[in-house]
Amino acid sequence: MYEAVHAYPDGASTAARFAATAERYGYDGVVVRADDASPEYGRLRESLSVDVVDAAEIVASDPQHASGAVGNARTKHTVVIVAGGTNALNRFAVEQARVDVLARPFEGTVNGDDRNGPNGRNGNGNGDGDVNHVLAKAARDNDVRIEVNLGPVLRDRGGRRVRHLRKLRKLKQLLDHYDAPYVVSANPTSHLKLRAPRELGAVGEEIGLGAEWTRAGLEAWDRLVARNRERLSESFIAPGVERGRYEEDD
Amino acid sequence: MKHLPKHLQPRWRYLAVGIETWPDADLDRGSFQRDLWYAAQNLYGDAGSAEADLTVLSFHFTEGDGETIVRAHRGTEERARAAIAALDSIDGHPVGVRVRGISGTVRACEERYLNGRTGHGQQRDVVFENESTPAVVRDTRVDVEVEEGFAGATRLDFE
Repeated sequence: MYEAVHAYPDGASTAARFAATAERYGYDGVVVRADDASPEYGRLRESLSVDVVDAAEIVASDPQHASGAVGNARTKHTVVIVAGGTNALNRFAVEQARVDVLARPFEGTVNGDDRNGPNGRNGNGNGDGDVNHVLAKAARDNDVRIEVNLGPVLRDRGGRRVRHLRKLRKLKQLLDHYDAPYVVSANPTSHLKLRAPRELGAVGEEIGLGAEWTRAGLEAWDRLVARNRERLSESFIAPGVERGRYEEDD
Repeated sequence: MKHLPKHLQPRWRYLAVGIETWPDADLDRGSFQRDLWYAAQNLYGDAGSAEADLTVLSFHFTEGDGETIVRAHRGTEERARAAIAALDSIDGHPVGVRVRGISGTVRACEERYLNGRTGHGQQRDVVFENESTPAVVRDTRVDVEVEEGFAGATRLDFE
């Protein structure tokens, strides 16, 4: 299980601190959603017993700006995440097979001075993005995972949280109905905002997503990372086609 | 009042909770209990809170590290876990909380999951972002004082 985190300077804690905390909490590793952050992945993986995955989070105001950034990031990073938040960006992300994850489709990256906004980086819960059946189908066809953001559930209160919960319930219904891929994350911006997998499962159960469903969303990161690493490896040519020795049949 | 016969006494479960904060935070049992109640009430309402009946028993906290035992009715452990996860800040201090384990008695809970090692932070100057800044060092963890409060790092970041 992986948690996708905002590391310093995007968040308040370094990738190493996130990884050390995630190890204690029982995660297999962290996915660093780097916008400005650039930790030394090789050294961290060597010195820590958990995995540290290099991911790029593309924060753009509109699809035109995001498009170029996606192309750049695709070859350099293992995982490419696009921060949604407006209908145009959400639609752009799910229609691009090059994108791995559409992050925060509802709250996105609304500008805020507080880098530790309650809903993930800069998100203050006022985004106007939405997900409907068209996007869910496109996400399934292009294999783009839609993120279920538990951040506001853990860190917001009152009306904003109620509205977010309503959106999450609708999102779950759509994802289940169209069998679209999804990932779950709490969008932590510091190691103090990290929560253990069982805690997130308990919260998921409490808000009607189901503990199993929530855990499956955390485990979806594992498959995504493994698949992308295989694709980036030198022996990979196309799905099902690899350079190397024949597999032994026995 | 005479206490209840044994088979009618409530059955409890005890959750060992580890707490971590920035080094400048100051928490006590009262504030933890109050914010835990608020978190539970906000998450599942008055009826659910009464059902889980979350009570903070022993509470140890010094210099940004702490551990405590939270009591919940048997059968509501997962609800209690959810309320603890939704505990975002106490008295305005952001907290990281984690349920280390659940036991049937206070004693087993203490023996298994609490180690009593809290505190022992050291003040030191470190070079962070090419500037010398004061920091609090706790074993491998380093909390650096920056403009907006603190930045969390580890020794690895300074090698």
